[in-house]
Amino acid sequence: MEALAVQILKSLVSGLLMGLVFALVALGLTVIFGVMDIVNFAHGEFLMIGMYTTLLTSPLLGVDPVLTLPLCVLVGAVLGLLCYHGLIRFLLRGPMIAQLFGTFGLMLFLRNMALLVMGSEPRIIHAGWLVGKSFAVGPNVVLESTKLAAAVLSVVSFLVIWWLINRTKVGRALTATSLDAEGARYMGISTERMNALAWAVGGASVAVAGGLLVNFWPVEPGVGLLFTMIAFATVALGGFGSVRGAFVAGIIIGLIVNVPPVWDALLRTIDAVGLKNLEIHSLKYTMVYAIYFLIMVIRPQGLFGWKQ
Amino acid sequence: MRKVVIFAAVALLAVCLAPAMAWSAPKEIKIGVIYPLSGGAAAAGRELRAGAELAADIANGLIPGVNMTMAKNAGIKSLGGAKIKLIFKDHQGNPQLGADLAKKLILDDKVVGILGCYHSSVTKTVSAVAERYGIPMINGSSTSPDLTKRGFKWFWRTTPHDKWFTKDLFEFLSGLSKGKVRGVKAVPKDQISRLAAACEKTEWGSHVAIEIASFAKEYGFTLAANILYASKSPDLSSEVQSLIAAKPAAMLFASYTSDAILMIKTLKSMKAKPKIIWGQDAGFDKPEFVALGDDVVGILTRSVFLPSVTKMKPLAGQVNALFIKKMGHDLDGASARAFTGLQTWVHVLEKAGSTDPKAIQKACNTITIPGKELVVPWVGIKFSTKGDEIGQNVLGGGLIGQYQKKGGKVVLEVVYPFDIATADMIFPLKGY
Amino acid sequence: MEAIRNAFDFTDLPRGEMIIAALALLFLLLFPVLPHSSFAMATMIQFLMFSLYGMGWNLIGGYGGQVDLGKAQYVGIGAYTTALLMIRLDVPFWYSLPVGLALAVIWSFIIGYPLFRLKGHYFAIATIATSLVLKDIFEVWNFVGGARGLEIPLKGNLPNWLYLQFKQDYYYFYVLLAMFLVGLIYVNGFRHSRLGFQLRAIKDNENVARSLGIDAHWCKIKAYATATAFVAAVGSFHACYNFNIEPEDVMSLDLSVLIALMAMLGGAGSMWGPIIGAAILVPMKSYLGDWLGGKAGMAGMDLLLYGAIIMFIAAVQPRGVYGIVEALRARRRR
Repeated sequence: MEALAVQILKSLVSGLLMGLVFALVALGLTVIFGVMDIVNFAHGEFLMIGMYTTLLTSPLLGVDPVLTLPLCVLVGAVLGLLCYHGLIRFLLRGPMIAQLFGTFGLMLFLRNMALLVMGSEPRIIHAGWLVGKSFAVGPNVVLESTKLAAAVLSVVSFLVIWWLINRTKVGRALTATSLDAEGARYMGISTERMNALAWAVGGASVAVAGGLLVNFWPVEPGVGLLFTMIAFATVALGGFGSVRGAFVAGIIIGLIVNVPPVWDALLRTIDAVGLKNLEIHSLKYTMVYAIYFLIMVIRPQGLFGWKQ
Repeated sequence: MRKVVIFAAVALLAVCLAPAMAWSAPKEIKIGVIYPLSGGAAAAGRELRAGAELAADIANGLIPGVNMTMAKNAGIKSLGGAKIKLIFKDHQGNPQLGADLAKKLILDDKVVGILGCYHSSVTKTVSAVAERYGIPMINGSSTSPDLTKRGFKWFWRTTPHDKWFTKDLFEFLSGLSKGKVRGVKAVPKDQISRLAAACEKTEWGSHVAIEIASFAKEYGFTLAANILYASKSPDLSSEVQSLIAAKPAAMLFASYTSDAILMIKTLKSMKAKPKIIWGQDAGFDKPEFVALGDDVVGILTRSVFLPSVTKMKPLAGQVNALFIKKMGHDLDGASARAFTGLQTWVHVLEKAGSTDPKAIQKACNTITIPGKELVVPWVGIKFSTKGDEIGQNVLGGGLIGQYQKKGGKVVLEVVYPFDIATADMIFPLKGY
Repeated sequence: MEAIRNAFDFTDLPRGEMIIAALALLFLLLFPVLPHSSFAMATMIQFLMFSLYGMGWNLIGGYGGQVDLGKAQYVGIGAYTTALLMIRLDVPFWYSLPVGLALAVIWSFIIGYPLFRLKGHYFAIATIATSLVLKDIFEVWNFVGGARGLEIPLKGNLPNWLYLQFKQDYYYFYVLLAMFLVGLIYVNGFRHSRLGFQLRAIKDNENVARSLGIDAHWCKIKAYATATAFVAAVGSFHACYNFNIEPEDVMSLDLSVLIALMAMLGGAGSMWGPIIGAAILVPMKSYLGDWLGGKAGMAGMDLLLYGAIIMFIAAVQPRGVYGIVEALRARRRR
């Protein structure tokens, strides 16, 4: 019984941490969607580029990986602007499906560009303030420092974005653009600039997430895909365009993927041999998608979404 | 608009009407080689390609001074000194594409035979094509046990497969309890009998999981957890928590490179303390994994070739030196097996004395290549022709290596088979 | 009767299109006797497969405007039904094909009913999720071979029409071509059918369509199921053609996206669009990969160019290549 209780606590903690990481990755996606109704397939590739930015610049500049984060912000913002002015601007004229595939092409392009330049081997950061560090709290509850830092960054980013949207003039302009682009134009808001701003903010937030995650995760050109699907589910579950929704949905998903060890501990406690062969670990992401689907069927606009 | 359409039609016609000008020089034998040269396994593909190329260069007499039979002939002697020509194709890990490329090689390029394909799933479709067309295929590096259980008449495999490798592990663990391991006193079996395994859930890993479960039963070990996980997963902490909660003495893994790295990092941060960590090659045998440095010291990996093999096989040392000259690093399991695969082709052609598929089939079924010709530490190469495994090399063998720190560098030392161990084993692991 | 007459009625098409279509058909019929490389033949088979996938997708994605990114699950159902029946019960392809179709269509109703409560991007992402769930289940389900997949045993004495096992690819080509023509005729009938008009009304404005008394939800489900039948049929064929199927291969997200991508780039919502898309993208992918993939130091170059071209078409003409053709035609008329 005690083992079970400890395991539940452990899973709660690591689920919360991982959930905040998922939310952080999804933040940029939901910001971009909120303003201009575009799902960015290349979102994970922005993350990958953030990861490579830290990996490459940290030894080059001779500073700790964490100190390169401002650079990631810059790279992400510039990349977002480039993508907006080079591609997305043109896609906006078309139907939703052309937008989806335009960003899908962007994904293929960026990923294979990375493959061409960096090769397919996974790379890791060897030393740094966060690398390989973790500490135990209470009864064997381990906090990994990278995940903890990412979780803190996640909370901070969400607060900043929330403040930006709800408390500043620019934010009100962004909201206006997202609610009614045409109306916003009549009111003298340059929707073009608002869109570009959303891409810059979205790109920067995910690139900085990448720069932090590379302290723990190995990076390779295909790394984006791991997070993209989760990010999609997070954003859709929370409600497209809802910042608060992405935060809550990220945590829900983080908790779901940490159910299997609790299940194992439960089986060990009640000694249910017959249930042991359920492949619950290999189905942990399946549970995420299944639960996501069920929630969506009940609430078609997502948990906190306002548009259908 | 009409112009556009006419242009498109002409272009399509041109593409279709351009059959590869199949013109074979009399003194050239074409072998089609299908490897994952791009896509997710491109790094392995590069090693495989280099291994096969090196073997071809040696066989063609371009590199003198190697002490093996095929180096002395400068081409295939029984075919009038014909040179080997490799035609590389890239399957990107895609079975359908692999099959299409195999057809292209067989029908357009008119290859004598096929070598490949690394991914077991691709090898399956490619060998099905080769079987239909009656073209011999030698496979050097796919380890799914299924491949040689299909009774194919045109498929031969040189490498041992996962069932053997897993059996090696359990032989090793039993040996550990009997005091056969160099540098370790006999460990009471009940201290190492609790195992936990985590394998990636696609074709390869799920096979390994089944083999581990069946051998654990056979050898009397307790498999406390047998986890299948989604490869390329963004988070492995839930898997690692379950592994640790099972309190195993040994943790067994079948993981690709990025998973293997993430797994070790997660184990470290969760402060796992198993006595043994064993990896089924793949991710545990890659330079990027070794780059983890101190964290991998003490970890075991099965392989078919470790650089320390060169200490006991001078021939392997010679080839390894050539490989270092070519690529800048040691041979590894992938390149050594690709080398051996092509070498087998050379010996088979020499024995067949003809490029007729029937003659090659006969040569494959009767050939014996002694172990002293090979870079890999096997007894030799001889394909089974009956029983439940057709075309499997019965003289192969696996190694288990351990990462150890020698002079500030992490190297792999052989710990199994016991009689060729190159170093004392570190036991137990120091834990994280 | 009316429906059948409609299906064979191509007379409303512009004359230029008719001529090109006839020439293309002649080319397809004669292709195996023209001199060609085997790779061109394999590419042609891929082209026909993706045309059929695209035609199916187009019914719901093009005419109905519902972006479906989960078609691979039905490819999988078709392929697995055929393979399982063939391996376990020795059932020939021609009998397992309708069984696979039926299963896929039933599953599409089960999934489609809740799915169509969602709209727009929510729908697109949810289709991905359903497909991934089914794939994951197949990967751990031992009855269907799990992640290890299924391999169809080779029969002796080829060609074997009953089990669809041939040595030469042109047999497969003609079987597929027959399926392609049936599909084309069906789609032609669909254009003029009641459901076709209803769907286009829904795509233009769902609220207006509803107010006209169209049951939008039910219409979409019907179109979705029809699309599924196309995709599952090709899935069955794929199992026989490839001899080996794995969830990773026949049910992957990549396949779902590719199906939709080709239809969209060719021109979603037009009869020729998916065919044009497949005719451009399939050869391009094959030959780019063949040309660049084997070269050292060029890893990724082929897909990089591929991505660039997709971006370009999506940005320049959102209605795809057929959209470009139509725009040109409109300009000439003026």
